[in-house]
Amino acid sequence: MAIKVDYVVRETSTNLFRNLSITLASILTVMVSLFLLGMALTVNLGVNKATQRWQGGIEFIVFINPGATTEQVGAVDKALRESPEVEKLTYVDQNQAMEEFRSLFANQPELIDTVTPDILPPSYRVVPLNKSSDTVEALSEQYRGKPGVKSVVSATETIKLVQKLSGTLTVFMYVVAGVLLGASILLVLNTIRMAMYARRREIEVMKLVGATNWFIRVPFMTEGLVQGVIGAGLAIGLLVLFRPFYERIVPDPTQFPLFSGMVPASSELFGIYVVLAFIGCVIGTIGAGVAVTRFLDV
Amino acid sequence: MIKLDNVTKVYKGDVVALRNASVEIAKSEFVFLVGPSGSGKSTFIRLLNKDQTPSAGRIFVAGKDIGELSSWKVPYLRRNIGTVYQDFKLLANKTVGENVAFALEVIGRPRHVIQTQVPAILDLVGLGNKAGNFPHELSGGEQQRVSIARAFVNRPLILLADEPTGNLDPATSVGIMQLLDKINKTGTTVIMATHDRGIVDRMRRRVIELDRGEIVRDQVRGVYE
Ligand SMILES: Nc1ncnc2c1ncn2[C@@H]1O[C@H](COP(=O)(O)OP(=O)(O)OP(=O)(O)O)[C@@H](O)[C@H]1O
Ligand SMILES: [Mg+2]
Repeated sequence: MAIKVDYVVRETSTNLFRNLSITLASILTVMVSLFLLGMALTVNLGVNKATQRWQGGIEFIVFINPGATTEQVGAVDKALRESPEVEKLTYVDQNQAMEEFRSLFANQPELIDTVTPDILPPSYRVVPLNKSSDTVEALSEQYRGKPGVKSVVSATETIKLVQKLSGTLTVFMYVVAGVLLGASILLVLNTIRMAMYARRREIEVMKLVGATNWFIRVPFMTEGLVQGVIGAGLAIGLLVLFRPFYERIVPDPTQFPLFSGMVPASSELFGIYVVLAFIGCVIGTIGAGVAVTRFLDV
Repeated sequence: MIKLDNVTKVYKGDVVALRNASVEIAKSEFVFLVGPSGSGKSTFIRLLNKDQTPSAGRIFVAGKDIGELSSWKVPYLRRNIGTVYQDFKLLANKTVGENVAFALEVIGRPRHVIQTQVPAILDLVGLGNKAGNFPHELSGGEQQRVSIARAFVNRPLILLADEPTGNLDPATSVGIMQLLDKINKTGTTVIMATHDRGIVDRMRRRVIELDRGEIVRDQVRGVYE
């Protein structure tokens, strides 16, 4: 049996407006929790991108001159591989470097257009055995100025600090967002429960005359879904409004190359918005679903 | 049409509301359920539309064992069983017409069916001119007519009535009984629980008497006691 769309729309909207204050409370909680989650995801994405070359304990990078001879590269390769102080070594060729460049400057396509793989330096990513800054400094110094080596860049204290700070910050935001998400599920659940209580006589009559369980449930389910979706929509709107402020906080990447990539590209942000919208739907559906199965008794 | 096969209903707390009841009711019969308060009349009625399930025994409605009905099919059983209660169960925020239409709407009947069926049934119960009134603007007897209209608008095979005249004065009750009689004459099986001696004695229909959950009398063209 098809459930009529106009019936569901009518029932859902009366339900939503009947308990306007508690409906607003649950929508706003969904909004705040998803906004926090969105912020955490944005910061996390930016920091990961800006520091992706430095993940997994990589302490310094030996950039090879794109024009270096095979012998020169071979010598550097051999020296690194045979060094007892190197724990792990990864070679990034020009194509991989191009990929990295692309994601780092995803929000500056005009920059990407000017670059081809053959002008990007291949590099060795080095994870040393001993990670104290003195030994790292001494080790990296050995390769600086070798024939074929363009430059040696070590992870500065700043990068480590950014990684650590943002790590702590985002974990904290995830925890708070998680708690608030739990709270919003409970709020949606209670809103739906109140809506069912307000309509208990209708529900009784519906059962009496043989309305199917799903017919009785669907308006309440859509009510929960609508709350989740509106909350997510507001959170996304807030994130869009907030984006210029965020970009202003992040240091100018032309002056601090370290921070290039900290500002996610629109396409990446869109991915985050999709995730938030999906979570909004899930919150609404879970809250309403629990309410109808626990308290509707049909 | 309806068959109870050794049905027992025990509520929690060991209250035996119905004990080893076996009875058969044919199509288009009119049956009174009588007995003192707490004898199990409402329980009998609730078992028939699966509002309650028996603790033991089997119940057949229209040839089907309703104990084997999965829960998602129960609504379809109820579409064939109209139910009328002492307290009408009308929705106060809907007009008479909307109350009746609601019963069709929530089982997915198309709008054009609703638009023709609702006025027709309101004419049948004698409330053709009250479709736009709200329940609180009606007398008790009229409200009960609305609830009968709602129960019958889908033309069920069976009409269950639990003390439909319990809140009405004798003169009004007579009108309700005439209506139920009219519905019964269309071929609908009517089962009515009642304490109203006058009605039972005047109508002279089949009487099933319950006492502490047991069927103690089953009499054609019976009287109250
Ligand atoms: N939902 C229930 N839970 C527990 N016990 C119940 C329930 N419904 C009825 N009972 C008990 O079952 C017995 C029969 O009740 P029932 O309502 O069937 O009697 P009745 O004949 O309709 O009485 P009345 O004439 O007062 O309406 C009573 O002892 C009652 O207390
Ligand atoms: Mg009763």
